[in-house]
Amino acid sequence: MVTTEIPMDTRSKSSVTSTPKSAQSSGSKAVGAVGKTLIDIDHVDFFYGENQALFDINMKIEEKKVTALIGPSGCGKSTLLRCLNRMNDLIDGTQIKQGKITVRGIDINSPEVDPIELRKRVGMVFQKSNPFPKSIYENITYGLRLQGENNKSKLDEVVERSLRGAALWDEVKDRLDTSGLGLSGGQQQRLCIARAIAVEPEVILMDEPCSALDPVSTSKVEELIHELKTQFTIIIVTHNMQQAARVSDRTAFFYMGKLIEYDDTQTIFMKPNHDQTEAYVSGRFG
Amino acid sequence: MFPVVSDDQPSPQESQVDATIMKRFYDTELENFRNHLIKMGEISIQQVHDAIQALVESDVAIAKKVIAGDDELDDLEVLIDEDAVTYMNMRAPIASDLRLVIVGMKASHDLERVGDEAVGIAKRAKRLAAEVPFKPYIDLPRMAAIAVEMLRDALDCFLDHDAEKAATIIKRDKEVDALNKQLYRELTSYMIEDQHTISRAIELMFISRSLERIADHATNIAEEMIYLVNGKDVRGG
Amino acid sequence: MVFWAFRASTYIVLLCGAAVFLTIFFKGAGTVFKTEAPFINTTFFTEAPETLYVFEYKGEDMEMGDKEFRAFKEMNPDAAKVSTSTFAYSAGGIWPAIAGTLLLVVGSMTIALVLGVSAAVYLSEYARDGAFIRFVRLAILNLAGVPSIVFGLFGFGMFVSFFGWNVSLLAGWFTLAFMVLPVVITASEESLQAVPQGFREGSLALGATQWQTIRKNVMPYALPGILTSSILGIARVAGETAPIMFTAAYVVRDKLPWEDLMNATDFFFQGVMALPYHIYVVSSKIPQNEYTERVQYGTAFVFLMLVASVAATSIVLRNHLRNRYKW
Repeated sequence: MVTTEIPMDTRSKSSVTSTPKSAQSSGSKAVGAVGKTLIDIDHVDFFYGENQALFDINMKIEEKKVTALIGPSGCGKSTLLRCLNRMNDLIDGTQIKQGKITVRGIDINSPEVDPIELRKRVGMVFQKSNPFPKSIYENITYGLRLQGENNKSKLDEVVERSLRGAALWDEVKDRLDTSGLGLSGGQQQRLCIARAIAVEPEVILMDEPCSALDPVSTSKVEELIHELKTQFTIIIVTHNMQQAARVSDRTAFFYMGKLIEYDDTQTIFMKPNHDQTEAYVSGRFG
Repeated sequence: MFPVVSDDQPSPQESQVDATIMKRFYDTELENFRNHLIKMGEISIQQVHDAIQALVESDVAIAKKVIAGDDELDDLEVLIDEDAVTYMNMRAPIASDLRLVIVGMKASHDLERVGDEAVGIAKRAKRLAAEVPFKPYIDLPRMAAIAVEMLRDALDCFLDHDAEKAATIIKRDKEVDALNKQLYRELTSYMIEDQHTISRAIELMFISRSLERIADHATNIAEEMIYLVNGKDVRGG
Repeated sequence: MVFWAFRASTYIVLLCGAAVFLTIFFKGAGTVFKTEAPFINTTFFTEAPETLYVFEYKGEDMEMGDKEFRAFKEMNPDAAKVSTSTFAYSAGGIWPAIAGTLLLVVGSMTIALVLGVSAAVYLSEYARDGAFIRFVRLAILNLAGVPSIVFGLFGFGMFVSFFGWNVSLLAGWFTLAFMVLPVVITASEESLQAVPQGFREGSLALGATQWQTIRKNVMPYALPGILTSSILGIARVAGETAPIMFTAAYVVRDKLPWEDLMNATDFFFQGVMALPYHIYVVSSKIPQNEYTERVQYGTAFVFLMLVASVAATSIVLRNHLRNRYKW
């Protein structure tokens, strides 16, 4: 089987060592300028068996930005997220009956694309943090070991880089051999983020990453997202409107499987174009 | 965030809990907001100072500078308002952050009005500069000095996050009011004596009124500072 | 009131169990243990069964096994004329039966685990739900209810006759394995299902193939459960007589399966003696008396000990794995 390589961008492999306390000027005053498109979702219809879950979705995800997907429960935002790394393939009877999703121009559902390769480039952090019941070290190196990397010094370096990148290094550097399950909820989620960034994906998908966390842990993860977007493109599904307003650059509002509005976060929250959007963000339905 | 020192609250224990305060990425927006406000304060104080200087020294150039400098204050007020609305919408501030934003909006209005009054003084100073002063300027510079001192103290309250000075500001307003009344009486008697002084005296009365207004604005700002620091509304007292 | 009913029934069960075990213990202890050093009747464990000769010689009651008797007769030629009562299989030991049971257990459990765990992995991780898979699951469940004698017949027909293996270890292994397969499959599948879905999703999201995910992130955590099922399986495999009666067991066999082989592969085609079958033989195939009773209970005792020790090993292994792959 010929696997088509999704073209890599020529980003430098600079290490993600920025500390979480570095303040960055808010870039949220984004004007309507559109950055470079990384993922193009083109007229996508998605079905669970006979039930249509997504109706004619059109959006372009910009590179190295945080895009938030918001909307009431069951509106299809998680479904769309899981389409982007083909995790929906695990469920029987799902398919995209029309349209296509392309990453850097390559249709990710074409037969030449190996979903395994896709998932190395498009990582995911889940709502309920799922650290493996292995040591912290083994959790982080899991992805690389899958690819055959066994060089101890390289693995050590990756572990430190990923844990620093996830703002967890200082807290766990003395106990890398202890079980990942021994961490607090917020730390576990950051461990999952570190695990995801260890394989150096281009995109990180986050499915309500903070919904199970206390406010302080939530803040830490949000700070982390703010740091990470210099290196990765992040797409986050969230129920928390304020969180979307805080962390994202672009926001997409979904309702009943349709994309209602997709614009700069500032526009969506200050003066949305659609009444439905306004009603949702001001908490009047959903 | 800041230890609140007030009369009817129990004196704070030395903090047993070492809660590490995180700096959030949007804290810079608040920093910018504060800085804009401080800048407005500095500019308006300078405007008042310069306007009175233009009067006392009959210096038209300085007067012109004051009039031109008002644009910056207006722009800053607009900027602060925009920033405040955006910040409240996007960040949903709580507690002292919220008070800061609200106080910022209100204080910026007061400071802009101070600037306008300073421009008014400068315009009158320009007109008076062409004429010979019929009396030495004593009270007006004194009123101005107090007003400027009140503004400066209000700004210090903001910088130091300390509401103690604010109480004294409110007291000094009475001084300015008294001086204003005194000047009215004095100028009225001048006008009665010599009707050639009427136009000049009227200008001076207006200037006095401007300074009284400036002092009122400074008092407002002081009350807002108390609200900012203590979370208590002392207006009407 | 109901509480006492439940309590009473529990105690009754305990009582019955205790009665069985204690009977075997006390009656078998005489055969297994000796009063003098080394306190264990090593002959019982290391010798093959022999005929017991009971006779009176010079006024003394003597009983000897076959070999001993022959030696005795050579030493005392006049003993040859003494009248003896003979009791089949009542002397010597049961070593071949022990060896045979051990071999059968090890072989059949290996086959059962390999086949069973593979099937469980397929059913749990790969199979898509549909009419066919539901039918397969139903079939497996039904297999659990099939009587062991039917398995024996099946084994005889399939492995002994059709494949031409004759009465052999191989035939016994497969017959026993098939008998215990449903238990292994269902317990293994359940253990695999118990592993949280989050482990699989997390692994796949990092770019693992399904097999990598199962191998590294699912199976290790299901192992304790799988081993538990093997404990159940071992007890069953060791104790069933019907499946091995026609497929692997001989009433008596002189040679151990690894002795006198023409070539190595012949090992698999040897028949063996087995403990449960031996108990059956000495209990029903030959006339009963006090001497055969000794052998019966002694064998039963040894059999229980054997199963207990194999099960204990499995439990130790399971606990070790549980600690290693804690989740």
